Amino acid sequence: MNLEKLLYDTYGYTEFRPGQKQVIEQVLAGRDVLALLPTGMGKSLCYQLPGKILPGAIVIVSPLLSLMQDQVAQLKKMGEKSVIAINSFMKPEDRERVWNTLGTYKFIFIAPEMLVQPYALGKLKALGISLLVADEAHCISQWGFDFRPDYLRIAEVLPKLGNPQTLALTATATDKVTDEIKRYLKLVDPFVYSHPMDRKNISYDIRKFDNDSDKLEELLNVVTTYGGPGIIYAGTRRKSQELAERILALGIRAAFYHGGMEQQDRIFVQQQFAHKELEWVCATNAFGMGVHIPDIRHVIHFQLPSSIEGYVQEVGRAGRDSLPSLATLLYAVGDERLVESLIMDDLPEKHEIELIYERGEEAKQLVEQGMIRETAYRIISYWRERLPLEGTLNQIEQLKKEKQRQADSIRRLVHTSGCIRQHISRSFDQENLEIPPNCCSFHGIDYSLFKDLQSELKASPKGSWKERLEVLLPI
Amino acid sequence: MRFDEVVLAIMKAVDGQRTVSSPYHLIKGKKSGQTIQDIGYFKLHPYFAVLPKLDKQDYLASIDRLQAQGFLIPNDNKVQLHGSAFALEIPPAPLNGWKYRGNENRFFSRLSLVVQTMSNFMQGQKRFDPVVTDETVQAWAKAYLKRIDFRSSAVQKAFKNQLENSLALAKTSEVHKAILMERLSGCGVGGLTWDQLAMEHGLLPIDVKIAAVEALHAWLDVLEGMEYPLLAGMLEGIIQQSALTESAKRTQNLSERGFSLQQIAELRQLKTSTIEDHFVEMAMNDPAFSSAPFMDEQLFQSIHHISKELKTMRLRDIKERLPEASYFQIRLALAMRGGFT
Repeated sequence: MNLEKLLYDTYGYTEFRPGQKQVIEQVLAGRDVLALLPTGMGKSLCYQLPGKILPGAIVIVSPLLSLMQDQVAQLKKMGEKSVIAINSFMKPEDRERVWNTLGTYKFIFIAPEMLVQPYALGKLKALGISLLVADEAHCISQWGFDFRPDYLRIAEVLPKLGNPQTLALTATATDKVTDEIKRYLKLVDPFVYSHPMDRKNISYDIRKFDNDSDKLEELLNVVTTYGGPGIIYAGTRRKSQELAERILALGIRAAFYHGGMEQQDRIFVQQQFAHKELEWVCATNAFGMGVHIPDIRHVIHFQLPSSIEGYVQEVGRAGRDSLPSLATLLYAVGDERLVESLIMDDLPEKHEIELIYERGEEAKQLVEQGMIRETAYRIISYWRERLPLEGTLNQIEQLKKEKQRQADSIRRLVHTSGCIRQHISRSFDQENLEIPPNCCSFHGIDYSLFKDLQSELKASPKGSWKERLEVLLPI
Repeated sequence: MRFDEVVLAIMKAVDGQRTVSSPYHLIKGKKSGQTIQDIGYFKLHPYFAVLPKLDKQDYLASIDRLQAQGFLIPNDNKVQLHGSAFALEIPPAPLNGWKYRGNENRFFSRLSLVVQTMSNFMQGQKRFDPVVTDETVQAWAKAYLKRIDFRSSAVQKAFKNQLENSLALAKTSEVHKAILMERLSGCGVGGLTWDQLAMEHGLLPIDVKIAAVEALHAWLDVLEGMEYPLLAGMLEGIIQQSALTESAKRTQNLSERGFSLQQIAELRQLKTSTIEDHFVEMAMNDPAFSSAPFMDEQLFQSIHHISKELKTMRLRDIKERLPEASYFQIRLALAMRGGFT
């Protein structure tokens, strides 16, 4: 089997990106595989290409609806036609149609909550699965920053599906998380591919201020000095809007992006950014998925992220073209407070846990009445089926400690007096001894390097509607 | 028309007779009996469902502005306008919400994908991220593009000419047309968000949204003439053949087959009041609707007479003077535009 030829014939690429070939070879050899590949390294190719050879269906379990939709769109864009996504938001008649024609699809994306339904299981089992892919596999671990109890259900259905060969994919995982993925997914003697987390072309810059107004001034200074394309992570929706206004007032092209905007507007901002009509996008952490731009030069954090994993994921959107890129974290004294409150907002509180145990199924109504938060409900109703009250309280207590540990690690990152790169690597249990040039603000950065790298911005068409039409349809 | 003007236009019609939230339901296109019948009573057809996704916060902000300007007097029970509101001229607009029912957005989604596809293919790009993610719209656009042979440059030219010529004829301002075109994307050009458009044109985001709807309605009026076949092809299922809601249509079918109101309610397992709503809707829309099965001519005339005399459409006021009439009979009589039939 000449994989390079297959790659070229199928997708037109002449070579694999690091790690892809090793992973694909092992998948084709029939082994369970756990692949840790940084975002933007082409994880999906690791199951796409085997899909061309393996006889049965490739079932991809994906934890997030938006992620699933994005991947389906990407696959279709690459010319893949037999792709389908099944989730609980589909209209019943659409879902019915899909179930009845399931055999005609090669790549089947499915949400974890659908996977456990007996009807769905039966259909999938009858189908003959060649490969089960657990995407964003770190979500299965409660030590991960993105724990989704729903995901644990994959482990429960594996035997019912006849324990198919499994490929677990993730971008970020510590040793502890890796162990849990192996255990829950029952990976048998898996081949583990672990790409170094470290991105040598990214320079880590941390700048500290005594108060918010100095921090803001510095941000405005940075966006004036350096060009984009860049992302500014603002923390909250309101802040993203505020920052975009400030930057626009300087005559620099920027837009805001957050989950509260209507979907069409969100797509417009993504497009403008991809088309280089914008220099900066001021965003909440909702921005990133669906953004496939290789030459993002700068990622700025105007607020502390709530974990190092989250930070690495966001920063990792810069410089996928391997050219020098800058990651700037702006910190003002007291910024930890917002992180604290965001973390605590995520976790179920004791009274919520007790209420859910007391009311059982009825507790769902309490979510609608606003007495229990949905995230809390999801986590607790999973544990309620498995543990007595005491056990769950204990679980949540541990989870809280874990979240606090993650917040601590971010705090330490800000206040580290040493190399930022090494600090990050160590949090992923990877020792990283080589210090690249322009490593971080501790080792020194030659900022002039980044000032030269400004991209050409396109003028956006303004004027009458006829002129706009001329630009859209130049014929 | 600005959003505040839309709200004010509705309020002028219902002043003193409806609550402050009734314009909100109308603009969103709520399909309740009350909202539907108000359209007929107060002649509010243009404004029905012009913003199906209207956010309550945006509506309340408008109420705040109208109060701050002194047009609206704070009142928890009903709309109470100040005399200055009546003195204010509201310019006529090409809105026709009752006809398009928010379906104009489906037309625009189709158009967005078709224009984006042509734009990219014209410039040699065969792969791009579709600007509309809805799979139904994607499937529709795909079939349509294939049908018209969109790769042919003659077709592309004709498409562009038809778009330009028909939009030129639309009876709406150049600014509104610009706003609509700026919502389209093409090769290397992204559509603009409502906030970006608002900033560019010095308007509120909500005003830009209304402007786009106005431009769409005016344009669709032109396209309906069928002189622009490539664009008219995109109207499939957009313009409702019957003015009735789906449910009322089913009631109408049963009524035409001779079933009584009570029988229809039993057959459809719906409340009598719901079926009554349907009859009111039919009375509003069908010039040939007969009220004879529900009341005699004398009662019909009395209801109209009292409504005129009291200058009111409030059911309770009429009922007080005419206790023998049921609320349903009053609603039905008021909904009919012509005389007793």
